[in-house]
Amino acid sequence: MNGQIRKLAAALLVLYMVVFVALNTIQVARKEALDENPNNNRQTIRDFNRPRGPIVTADGVVIAQSVPTLEGDEFDYQREYPQADIFSNITGYYTYGFGSTQLERRQSDVLMGDTAAQKVASVFGSGDSTGSVVLTMRADLQRVAADALGEREGSAVVMDPTTGAILAMVSFPRIDSNLISTHNTKEAEDVLAFYNSLDSKPLLANAYQERYMPGSSFKIITTGIALEAGVTDLERSWPDEKEWLPPQTDDPIQNYGGKECGGSMAEIFYRSCNIPFAQMAVELGPERMVAGVRAWGVGEQIPIDLPAAAASNFENAGSDPIDFSQNLPLLAIGGFGQANDTMVPLHMCMVAATVANGGRMMAPYVVDRTLDHDGRVLDHTEPYAWKTPISAATAATMTDLMVGVVNQGTGKPMQLANGIQAAAKTGTAQLNSAGEPQRSHAWIVGFAPAEAPRYVVAVMLKGTNDEISASTGGRLAGPIAKTIFDYLFSHEP
Amino acid sequence: MSNSPLAAARRNGELGLVVMAACITGAAYVLASLGKNSEMPATVVPFLLALLGMLVAAHVATRYFARGADGTLLPLAALMHGIGYVMIARLSDRRAALQTTWSLIAIVAFVLVLMLVQRPPDLARYKWTFLFVGAGSLVLPLVPGIGTSVGGARIWVRIGPVSIQPGEFAKIALALFFAAYLADNRELIAAGTRRIGPMRIPELRYLLPITLAWGFAVVVMVAEKDLGSALLFFTLFTVMMWVATERSIYLVVGFVLFAAAAFTAYKMFGVVQTRVQVWTDPWSQYEGKGYQSAQSMFAFANGGTGGTGLGMGSPNKIPAASTDYIYAAIGEEMGLVGAAAVLIAFVLMIGAGLRIAIRADRPFEKLLATGLTTIIGMQAFIITAGVLRVIPLTGITLPFVSYGGSSLLSNYILLALLIRISDSSAKRLGEVPDELSLGERWETYQLRRAAKRTARP
Repeated sequence: MNGQIRKLAAALLVLYMVVFVALNTIQVARKEALDENPNNNRQTIRDFNRPRGPIVTADGVVIAQSVPTLEGDEFDYQREYPQADIFSNITGYYTYGFGSTQLERRQSDVLMGDTAAQKVASVFGSGDSTGSVVLTMRADLQRVAADALGEREGSAVVMDPTTGAILAMVSFPRIDSNLISTHNTKEAEDVLAFYNSLDSKPLLANAYQERYMPGSSFKIITTGIALEAGVTDLERSWPDEKEWLPPQTDDPIQNYGGKECGGSMAEIFYRSCNIPFAQMAVELGPERMVAGVRAWGVGEQIPIDLPAAAASNFENAGSDPIDFSQNLPLLAIGGFGQANDTMVPLHMCMVAATVANGGRMMAPYVVDRTLDHDGRVLDHTEPYAWKTPISAATAATMTDLMVGVVNQGTGKPMQLANGIQAAAKTGTAQLNSAGEPQRSHAWIVGFAPAEAPRYVVAVMLKGTNDEISASTGGRLAGPIAKTIFDYLFSHEP
Repeated sequence: MSNSPLAAARRNGELGLVVMAACITGAAYVLASLGKNSEMPATVVPFLLALLGMLVAAHVATRYFARGADGTLLPLAALMHGIGYVMIARLSDRRAALQTTWSLIAIVAFVLVLMLVQRPPDLARYKWTFLFVGAGSLVLPLVPGIGTSVGGARIWVRIGPVSIQPGEFAKIALALFFAAYLADNRELIAAGTRRIGPMRIPELRYLLPITLAWGFAVVVMVAEKDLGSALLFFTLFTVMMWVATERSIYLVVGFVLFAAAAFTAYKMFGVVQTRVQVWTDPWSQYEGKGYQSAQSMFAFANGGTGGTGLGMGSPNKIPAASTDYIYAAIGEEMGLVGAAAVLIAFVLMIGAGLRIAIRADRPFEKLLATGLTTIIGMQAFIITAGVLRVIPLTGITLPFVSYGGSSLLSNYILLALLIRISDSSAKRLGEVPDELSLGERWETYQLRRAAKRTARP
């Protein structure tokens, strides 16, 4: 019988080895896949019982932090957003039941102390390995921009043209992350359902997650392409015209308000005539125009260090590419920012920044650096040029054109205090067809000081009401941009 | 008691290991409380005293009644019992209180078995009693009025405030019967007198009682929807037949019968089909039958290599975390390291049990040790492999670890029997001097008195 007993021992050992292999398969090999299963919220439960580092602005204001909960709470820590709503679409939210968004999502490893460097450091250091995220954004400026925008749907973006650092970026309407981050899942669900039910989509930051028809502000791009291609120069002039018939159509193109408009290159730019820019687009032709627009980054997702940024559009109608060679009138209209053109407000800010920065379009970013618990730098954002659509010479020419807009043209409301020279381009995007009630977005993008630009501002107001729709980019968006610029120059850090 | 260095070494080693198991359990208990509530458990001192008291009591019993026995079985059982208790206490205060009571009862039973059963061959004399007790207790849950169903399986008997699972004890009783019956008849069964083609078939009258007992037990277990026990019992019978007769044909027959039975059960019972569906794909039924299997997968994954730490995982999300799925709770909070340690502990117990079987000389003791070890080894395999989805899950307890009084009690009885056989071999081999058992001393005393009485007039 002993032989059988020994064989039994061997057989049982084999069975246990099979179990051991299964244990390894599940706990090690398939760990990540199982952890990421959408039904699995164990990781979340564990994270909610761990501290999480703060997000801090460039001027040292805490905009997201974890505080210990009171006795009886389901979890040990509660995420708080002390600045309420004004940073909510930058920080995003951190919830138990509904995931996390924006920086809370993108920088989660740093905040939880889960990056490799932090894990190594925590072995030798104190128990708390959480990290912090320091932004390029200024809390004071964000507040000023939010107040200037008020409760009008739209956005304002302030950026450093030489680096791409975002100094302020506000959108309205916006969410308040505190309301979603409550541990009361039912309450958070109701708040989210309410936000989702609104047509104005407050969960999307319209500064960088939405795109809108740019109107005449797009003429910066058309001019840049035309100057680079030699289709136009400062010597060229256009006759005063009321309308112009592009090829392939009987429907003439008109200037804003149906007025006569023309003159030198500088004049047509600051008066914002439509016909010359339509003609430039047709003269460039589909191939050069499309290639030129792409050189400005249109059609690509904006490379900001926040999740789910939008991409601007020139060459598609819906999701179908337009064959401009069969559709020259659309190309002509696209030349002055109408038709199918849509631009992300942040992208328009980057367009102005390109002119301000000698033709180099810097990639935008909001995170300046990440720090470990002891304040050592984990990572530091290195600015880089994303696109270089125009030469320094063209940029200088265009700066002059944009200075003209502020001094003599549609951008007069953006003339700054203390004699600081600004440069700008306005836009009034007409959304309605002929005969319908007037609906238009109001835009202004500009930078200052013109001779050595330090700040770029882009303001965009959605044409959701009659007040905005009845006015122009210069008159509506201009004063908001001026408020921001004047604050910037009187409160430099 | 006469002096024996070998016995002293075995018992002192056992004491050291038991104290170590108690220390591990005590530390785990404190860590679980710190992890869960960030504070020292209020009951830590009484807990440690009670734990140490129970384990030392069990050890003292082996010192007095089985001093030549293997010294690793009791510490291994104590460690499994301790880890299980910490997990149960971490999952539910109410269940921890009940488990404490049952632990006490189980230790008392362990001591009583060692005290009362001092000569293993005595047990063989009661083989028919064990058959009827085993078969009878298996049927008890089917009796209207006292039997109750929990979670689909009708394996409970309610007597007043206490619920017990008679099947847990039936396993041991039937293993005793098999061992005794096969020890008597194994040669007759193995020889086989009739020939059918190349096969030799034993006389029906030798084969019939044991096959009837086995068939009856399996049918009753299936009728009670206690599939895990049916599988365990099937394996136990096949293994014991094979070891007793030394003929591999019984393994083949056992396997063929098992395949046929499994196929029939799959066709006949919806519950078997559900188990197989959940086994192959718990994810598509996440909201229903697959939920607990999916949650146990998540628990294991969450534990990873090192575990979340005691009290810091979420094993409460698994519906049967303290019974069928306690292995997943251990995997989550103690990680691969802790879960593998549990496996190793069972492998060591199997090793110790089968070593006892090999060292035993009398067929009854050999077969009984083999059977009891198979029960422990296969039961732990069936539930761990089921939880890990190596095989379909069949609800059964993890010996010594899972919550459940009947299971704990029967496993300590089983442990006492193994230790008894081990001690018996040590005496036979002359490793420890044989001494009179309690019963024998009592008989000697009675005889002397009688002799005196008859001598006087």
